[in-house]
Amino acid sequence: MMPEPDHLSATFAALADPTRRAILARLAEGEATVNELAEPFDMSLQAVSKHLKVLEAAGLITRGQKAQYRPCRLEPAPLASAIEWVERHKAIWEDRFDQLEQHLKKIQQPTKETTQ
Amino acid sequence: MSDLGEVKINRTYKASRALLFEVMTTPEHLQHFWGPIGMTTPIENIVVEPRVGGRFETGMVSPDGEVYWMKGVFTEFDPPNRLAWTEPDVEGGMLNTITFTDLGDGTCEAFTHQTNVPEMYRTPEAQAGMATSFDKCDAYLETLV
Repeated sequence: MMPEPDHLSATFAALADPTRRAILARLAEGEATVNELAEPFDMSLQAVSKHLKVLEAAGLITRGQKAQYRPCRLEPAPLASAIEWVERHKAIWEDRFDQLEQHLKKIQQPTKETTQ
Repeated sequence: MSDLGEVKINRTYKASRALLFEVMTTPEHLQHFWGPIGMTTPIENIVVEPRVGGRFETGMVSPDGEVYWMKGVFTEFDPPNRLAWTEPDVEGGMLNTITFTDLGDGTCEAFTHQTNVPEMYRTPEAQAGMATSFDKCDAYLETLV
């Protein structure tokens, strides 16, 4: 309804994969290297790296630059935007359904004449 | 914490789903409840072409006179069971689906699902109803406040 930044759909597309969601959940506990992130998955480092690239492109993670050790870190802003999106749209629907309830009661009153 | 990228709402009403479907798809009814609180949606700002591929458009008017348009196209129009429409110009394409179920006691349920990543629901994992909790991410975000 209100103008939306386009990166939101990139964020949600990045979140649409269960492996990437699991990676984010792990990073919410603290930063980690690619090896550490790959550990729980039955997946090559290459495959994990691909997922990390998608997350990085969406701005959901950043990667440190310390020489051989490039830890991945969760970035709070895009995730917070995504959470805010859900809350905002949910509130719009709840309002709408509350008002619908009032409207339904009105039109179903048996003895009153309804006006349009 | 609900899944990210989607909104799911379940509401029950004292009405048949036939009535609820009609109310959801008729401008004369929509004008009375569509706008969020604080906005109105006058009947002349509502277009419902009741068929798959038909337009579903609402222009919500704010207190300072700004009009916010929702421009949708129906992807499903199946009274009294299901209604679905996309908003192709918003955030990569929002998909809204409402499923109506009679509960057998004069009430019915309207389950609304809105997502801007509709392809998320075409993967086998999604269809198996896989959901991941974002509680850990929530907790992390709270530490930043």
